[in-house]
Amino acid sequence: MRVHVVEDDAGVSDSLSLILANLGHDVISYPDAESLFRSPPPDGSDTVIVDLTLPGIPGAQVVRWLLKMAAVPRVVVITGQSQSAIDHQLRGLTPAGVVRKPLTVEALARALPAS
Amino acid sequence: MRDFSSSPDLQEPPTVSEAQLLSVLDTAADGIIVIDERARILIFNKACEQMFGIASVEAVGQNVKIVMPVEYAHDHDKYVGSYIRTGVKKIIGIGREVRGLHADGTVFPLELSVGEAATPDGRQFIGILRDLRPRKESEQRLADLQSELVHLARVSAIDEMGAAIAHELNQPLTALMLYLQAIRRAHSRGMDINAMVGDILDKAAAEAERAGHIIQRMRQFVEKREPVRSVRDIDPMVDEAIELTLLGQRHRIRVEREFAGDLPPVAVDPVQIQQIVVNLVRNAIEAAAPTGDPAIRVRTRLRDGNVVIEVHDNGPGIAAPALPKLFEAFASSKRRGMGLGLAISRTIAQNHGGDLLVDPGGNGKGACFSLVLPVAPPPVPSEVG
Repeated sequence: MRVHVVEDDAGVSDSLSLILANLGHDVISYPDAESLFRSPPPDGSDTVIVDLTLPGIPGAQVVRWLLKMAAVPRVVVITGQSQSAIDHQLRGLTPAGVVRKPLTVEALARALPAS
Repeated sequence: MRDFSSSPDLQEPPTVSEAQLLSVLDTAADGIIVIDERARILIFNKACEQMFGIASVEAVGQNVKIVMPVEYAHDHDKYVGSYIRTGVKKIIGIGREVRGLHADGTVFPLELSVGEAATPDGRQFIGILRDLRPRKESEQRLADLQSELVHLARVSAIDEMGAAIAHELNQPLTALMLYLQAIRRAHSRGMDINAMVGDILDKAAAEAERAGHIIQRMRQFVEKREPVRSVRDIDPMVDEAIELTLLGQRHRIRVEREFAGDLPPVAVDPVQIQQIVVNLVRNAIEAAAPTGDPAIRVRTRLRDGNVVIEVHDNGPGIAAPALPKLFEAFASSKRRGMGLGLAISRTIAQNHGGDLLVDPGGNGKGACFSLVLPVAPPPVPSEVG
């Protein structure tokens, strides 16, 4: 399966790509929302992992945009913020999964569809 | 010179007026000692008995040295002799802080003023003494309280940044966990990972180090310690403080650093100065955040012989009604925090012989705070004599 990772932190992005590849996925990484939008859009069978705290366009806006697509990909939010901050930003949005940092491979695997 | 020990006047009972004088001396709150030209005690009032733990009857007739610690006692006769010979006043009519010796061996600070009287029996010296311990204690208490408050404000600053700092710590911890789990998985599946394991472990170690740095920076800042002045360069100190502040920032913001690079050093408590910078930078970020393109500029330079650290923001400036109370404690308009930041920052600056000034900006101009610190005096070889 193809997994898109939108994460600005280089360490998190790199380790995430490694573990996802390890789990058998094709990984495409983006340092920010803008570079995701410039690339070919994800299709309905893809998963997009989005960090809520991004430079420039905020993560919640990426989630909103993805959930409005004709073929909605699976959207998984990752974040280190407090629950109230997460709730506030995701008002009215229901991504397939929200995984809080620090991430573990088990928590990630649960949020991804069984392949 | 007349020998007073054989003076008949002293053996005679006091006259009425002398008895009155003595009772007045005994009601005085200050210690009063009268000595003759040879430093022998003629009068030792009640307050002195209390102060030195010596009864008047024992003190009278002895050399005044008995109430002095050795280092003064040693030279006192010389001082009296030299004054009588030369007339050069070292303490008479001036008053100074000296130390006294209690009968139990305690040495304590005293304020001593000395007057001189010419009497038919020769010159007499009148010493008025005040125990400085109560005053010293309250000064010390005030200093302790102040440093407690300064520390509290630092803890409060970290507390306010807490959520954001937790987020910042989460990043390296996430990366570290995922790197290790990647190796673990590959290993348990019997995959050949020799080629890449070294590289991954290096990255994992770097992430652990990154987490450690965050903790370290925070710890240095909040740990309770005695204020210590040292001679430092301001630029690296300011840079570190900016890094610490950015750790706790949710907002992405441009920070321009314009460091002079060649400033003379300042004699400061580095943690307290960083506390001011953290406070100013946080305020600046908060002021700039609502603008479309938030940016702050931190600049260091030399102005009128002082080192100046300026923190500019591109926010709307400070509204005129807020200006008079800007540096007052608990007057903050912010909902979070104690509203102590600027009040404490200015106090710290002034304790360092400097000041904290503000240009409120407005009309499209952001505010600019200037922390002014005097340049450290050049090192002087310790004085002799």
